[in-house]
Amino acid sequence: MFLHEFNPSVKAFTVIVCVLILSVFFDPVTPFLTLVMTAAATFIFGRVSFKRWILLFSPFIFMAAIYIWSALIFSKTIEGETILWSWGIFTLTEEGFLRALSLGMRVLSFTSLSLLFILTTKPTEFLLSLMQQCRLSPKLAYGIMAGYRFLPLMKEEFEIIRSAHRIRGVPKARKLSEKMAELKRYAVPLLAGAIRKAERTAMAMESKGFTGDKNRDFHHKISVSWKDWACFTFFIGAVLGSAYISWLFGFLQLYNGEL
Amino acid sequence: MLEKWKLREVIVLSVLAVVFAVVYLVFLQFGNVLYGMFGLIGYDLIFGIWFIVSIIAAYIIRKPGAAFLSETIAAAIEVMVGNAVGPRLILSGMIQGIGAEAVFAATKWNNYRPWVLIAAGMGSSVTSFIWGYFISGYAALSPGYVTAMFFVRLISGALLAGLLGKWLSESLAKTGALNSFPIGKELKRGKPENGITA
Repeated sequence: MFLHEFNPSVKAFTVIVCVLILSVFFDPVTPFLTLVMTAAATFIFGRVSFKRWILLFSPFIFMAAIYIWSALIFSKTIEGETILWSWGIFTLTEEGFLRALSLGMRVLSFTSLSLLFILTTKPTEFLLSLMQQCRLSPKLAYGIMAGYRFLPLMKEEFEIIRSAHRIRGVPKARKLSEKMAELKRYAVPLLAGAIRKAERTAMAMESKGFTGDKNRDFHHKISVSWKDWACFTFFIGAVLGSAYISWLFGFLQLYNGEL
Repeated sequence: MLEKWKLREVIVLSVLAVVFAVVYLVFLQFGNVLYGMFGLIGYDLIFGIWFIVSIIAAYIIRKPGAAFLSETIAAAIEVMVGNAVGPRLILSGMIQGIGAEAVFAATKWNNYRPWVLIAAGMGSSVTSFIWGYFISGYAALSPGYVTAMFFVRLISGALLAGLLGKWLSESLAKTGALNSFPIGKELKRGKPENGITA
């Protein structure tokens, strides 16, 4: 079974449950193993190219690096820890280093799970699935789809406003106060235009007979089968398995107040 | 909850959420820069911006759930546009929305004075901080630093969400685009000398 066929609502639920399980533990090994397995699943069962994946993933490597750095520099030092390195007010302990590494790996494992979802799910299918499986209000779901379609229109409008400003000779903003005024000059007409369009869209939808009733028909039906729950079980099993391996090697720690 | 909403209000809410989802993504990059410069507290400096849609939506639509739903949808859109924080971000959005919604609920969705809007921004700061404390492992940082982060975020929520949201909503109302909403009617009634045209 490929991840594209995985029911979007169940898939989102799987990812959230995996993240919640991961956040119970606090060690570098569990998130690392999960990260490796999730990435492998994304490539093999999601047929996502490595290039596309790493492009989205790399900013988070950078973020995790800063996370580790921040946790190292600003971490509290507890009495009786093994000191690895010390310079001025900065002290690096072995425990502190493990904590920082755990934080970094945690961020990366969350990211890989999220990427698995994003790269194998179409937004429209996700919304349809939310309506059909999770009883999301059609008013809201179609509202969001309409709003989503506004984005390219707003980009166009932004260009128009910019050209209009240029033609009328609005000077370039330099000072902070000028920058704020410039922000207002763009934000207010863009938002006002979007709200006007939203009202017109609502009127159009209602005139075509959209009532927002939950008991409606769908042209594109999205179902849940035993395969989806098998997939769910597989992922939860993978995360728990990582925790088990980490426990075998004596790294596993529960996340609690002492950290 | 949504049964009592007019379709017009739902679509306006969705559009606001979509627009601010993009704004949020832009600020995420900006936040990363601040993060690199100041460490984790860099995020807290501008954290308030991520609550602004709650304030704007609630101030404009003035119905129970506006703050919560707008923030949740904005987070969902961020995920769909392609933010690698992923579905977890939807949970964060919900938690931020609950903070603001709780403040509006405390006034029975009747009071939209400036101090309520500021308190709502701070409400989001509080709930998001508690969530962040557990999910991002702030507990690993020194208590003094965490306390500083909390206060910076509280101020940021008050200013960047509460006050900026109020100001932006009112600027919008002055264009006349919100005339069919309570905020537009209020502005018309309160200050007719402003020269508002429909």
